[in-house]
Amino acid sequence: MSTECPLSPEVFTTKDFRSSLKPIWCPGCGDYGVVTAIYRALTAIKRPSHEIAFISGIGCSSRIPGYTTAYGFNTVHGRALPIAQGIKMANPELLVLVAGGDGDGFSIGGGHVPHAIRRNPDLTYIVMDNQIYGLTKGQLSPTSPRGLKTASSAYGSMEDPVNPLLYVLAYGAGFVAQGVPADMEGLAKIIEEAIRYPGFAFVNIQSPCITYGDADTQLKTQKTRMRKLEAEGHDASNRLRAMELAQEYGRTLYTGVFYRNPNPPPTYDSQIRERQQNLRGKDMALEQLLRKESDEEAEVPAAC
Amino acid sequence: MVDDLIIGMAGSGGDGIVSAGESLIGAAAADGYFAILTKSFGSQIRGGESSCRLRVSARPVLNPGGTLDVAVVLNWEDFLRFGGELPVGPDTVVIYETKTGVEPAQIPLAEPHPSIVIAVPMEAMAMSAAGTLQAKNNVVLGLLAGWFGLARESILKGIRKKFARKGEAVLQGNERAFASGMDYAEKHPLGSARHLSPSVHTAGRHLVTDGNEMCGAAALFAGCKFFGGYPITPATEIMQYLGREIWKYGGSLLQAEDEIAGIGAAVGASFAGVKSMTATSGPGLSLKTEVLGLASVAELPLVCVNVQRGGPSTGMPTKPEQADLFAAAFSAHGDTVRPVLAPVSVADMFGITVDAFNIAEEFQTPVLVLSDQEIAQRKEIVSPVDTSTFKLVTRLEPTPQQLENYVRFRFTESGISPISHPGMKGGNYLAAGIEHNELGAPTASGEIHARMNDKRLKKMDPLKQRRDLFVFEGDVDATIGLVSWGSIAGVALEALHLARAEGIKVRLLIPKLVYPVAEEIYAEFFAPLQRCLVVEQSHQGQLYRIIRMWASSVPPQFDVLAKSGANPIPPEEVLAKIRAMARS
Repeated sequence: MSTECPLSPEVFTTKDFRSSLKPIWCPGCGDYGVVTAIYRALTAIKRPSHEIAFISGIGCSSRIPGYTTAYGFNTVHGRALPIAQGIKMANPELLVLVAGGDGDGFSIGGGHVPHAIRRNPDLTYIVMDNQIYGLTKGQLSPTSPRGLKTASSAYGSMEDPVNPLLYVLAYGAGFVAQGVPADMEGLAKIIEEAIRYPGFAFVNIQSPCITYGDADTQLKTQKTRMRKLEAEGHDASNRLRAMELAQEYGRTLYTGVFYRNPNPPPTYDSQIRERQQNLRGKDMALEQLLRKESDEEAEVPAAC
Repeated sequence: MVDDLIIGMAGSGGDGIVSAGESLIGAAAADGYFAILTKSFGSQIRGGESSCRLRVSARPVLNPGGTLDVAVVLNWEDFLRFGGELPVGPDTVVIYETKTGVEPAQIPLAEPHPSIVIAVPMEAMAMSAAGTLQAKNNVVLGLLAGWFGLARESILKGIRKKFARKGEAVLQGNERAFASGMDYAEKHPLGSARHLSPSVHTAGRHLVTDGNEMCGAAALFAGCKFFGGYPITPATEIMQYLGREIWKYGGSLLQAEDEIAGIGAAVGASFAGVKSMTATSGPGLSLKTEVLGLASVAELPLVCVNVQRGGPSTGMPTKPEQADLFAAAFSAHGDTVRPVLAPVSVADMFGITVDAFNIAEEFQTPVLVLSDQEIAQRKEIVSPVDTSTFKLVTRLEPTPQQLENYVRFRFTESGISPISHPGMKGGNYLAAGIEHNELGAPTASGEIHARMNDKRLKKMDPLKQRRDLFVFEGDVDATIGLVSWGSIAGVALEALHLARAEGIKVRLLIPKLVYPVAEEIYAEFFAPLQRCLVVEQSHQGQLYRIIRMWASSVPPQFDVLAKSGANPIPPEEVLAKIRAMARS
């Protein structure tokens, strides 16, 4: 299983995970940094690319599976998580990565996030959060700050943004982190740790949109704004403290692990395997339907 | 003696009418009869009116039948709520509860009244035999066994089995209730002319099951290893059956947070390399369509069962209708063809489901199975499935040589390209809803898009030659024809038998592949016909319209008998249309 990340005798380099497709992203897009961090994390994880399934929804960032050598599935808008869960349930041995934007994960697909989290499949969900809809050329996203003027909000947004970090903590995610492409080393480390966490792991990446994004969200400002949780002495096993820090979303740019459950509960996939083992071959109703010999007691229901 | 008996019963929720029907069909199965049991309820969760109709015969039963031979009325208000579902005619034997306080001549039915109307003190008999009103349905069973010679030993055996656990006193009370019904029938004889003739097919084992369970069982037989779905009437029992069984076969099941997630997970499982399925009903199908389109363009096998109910929108969740054919055939946007299969009976549901998996795997496409509420939830006596007639198909995988330079969506003569799955070394590719080239890389090229559309559409063509998915019945030289599908096909088939018994030559075509339209098969069927009637349960006549869209020519007179769902189409009504066609 992927959580154990068995050491492969092979030696991997980032080239093993980089595909030949040229990204459609604008020059300066934060997603370049994200995909590079993913190459690095996968190099450290040492799983061959054919054992990795990388699932995404729709949006600029959802093009990301195609830029890796993993088995990719660029699905429909908002449905990456359910599709990824089906993949993991069908083959728990796979390392499953899910990625998408803030619109994909917290607007159109927002209803799937709590359910994926409460099931706790062993997969990693990476959201490239840029507070804007880039692919459709600059409309409000669910994480856009109140007052933001965009192509679809000429007079400014009248809505509060969602807080992805607080949401997933409240839903019960066992691993919650945030990273920025400006800190490549830190981001690669966070993604690696998320993959290694045995259960649902969530990584919010503040991945700036160079074309439609705010000036103060760009890579060069991230370097000055970011505050590393580790350096601030945050205890990542403290969920309540993590929720307190998460409330700073949109104001303070914390990076690192907000929460890591010190006692990870059983994963969905491990429970599935257990149930399959316990029930395999027992009292199969289909056999009843196919059996030709008479069993006198069998099928005479009575009135009650 | 009669060789066909249709019994309708209605009462309020606590009267045990439906369980009496289940007892009867169980006993009929044990005695080697054929039967169909349909149940009908009000929309209440508990209580309210409930009814069932049992058609039992020594010959194969093709449909639930029309006018009742026997009506059992526990109270009139509830009985009348079912209207056309429980039609009473002049020859119907009406048995009703004395306590309703109505004189036989004053029963609230349209004139002329049936000639035999009997008030029976069923409640009083239950109280005196068992000391509880709950035994009332066993009084009813006694009456039916006595008057119509129905499976008395097997009914009694059923009662013993059921109540053995509840203690001697309860068991004896219910046995007495049954006996009191038998006694009453004996003291008020109707004559043996009304007795059901003995069954002839007593050999072998007979089971009572419904379409939803058949579907679940067939999925397991076909090798289904994943189910994703969401509860919805009247499809839920498929998920419940698989929820009990699929684990035993090394599979798994997700009751998802919504319909979209259910089909999404199923598509994911298919991408991961296993046979997978989802099941739903009308509103759920509407929600699932985008993901159906994804499966089509990513060329992933998937079986999607849609148990039709009354629509549009919430419609009538507990009533049958055949109005989802357009939705199934034209589900989702873009240029696609998704095969749509329709079973004609509970027994047929097995083969259709297996075929759906086979077609999905062979052609790498989602396949829709259009069941309906009637097939899904009616009980039918079936023989054990003979699996030797089925072959199982699995998707074409790349050879080791092909994996050395793997091209997932390679253009081939058949349009089918070998498909890998995660875990297969060298098979790595990008699946996508976005248009792609042979390698799977996204493209906006019109030329590639046209070629890919061509590949995805052309690969389905061999399906239209699948003559085994079409049933031809009747006289080859007839100039009068019928076309019917789904559960209504059994009505058309009975009407054909009735017409031929009158010396009218008729031919019937039952398509089980309802989409894509097999132009050549229809052309061949239509060629000798002067008049043809499509019989189906939808207001617009959806199959009729879809045939007209594709058929190169139709018979000079080509009409449809189309009725909205929940309005039964009795064989007699179709027979009347056949007679009219024969006269014209």
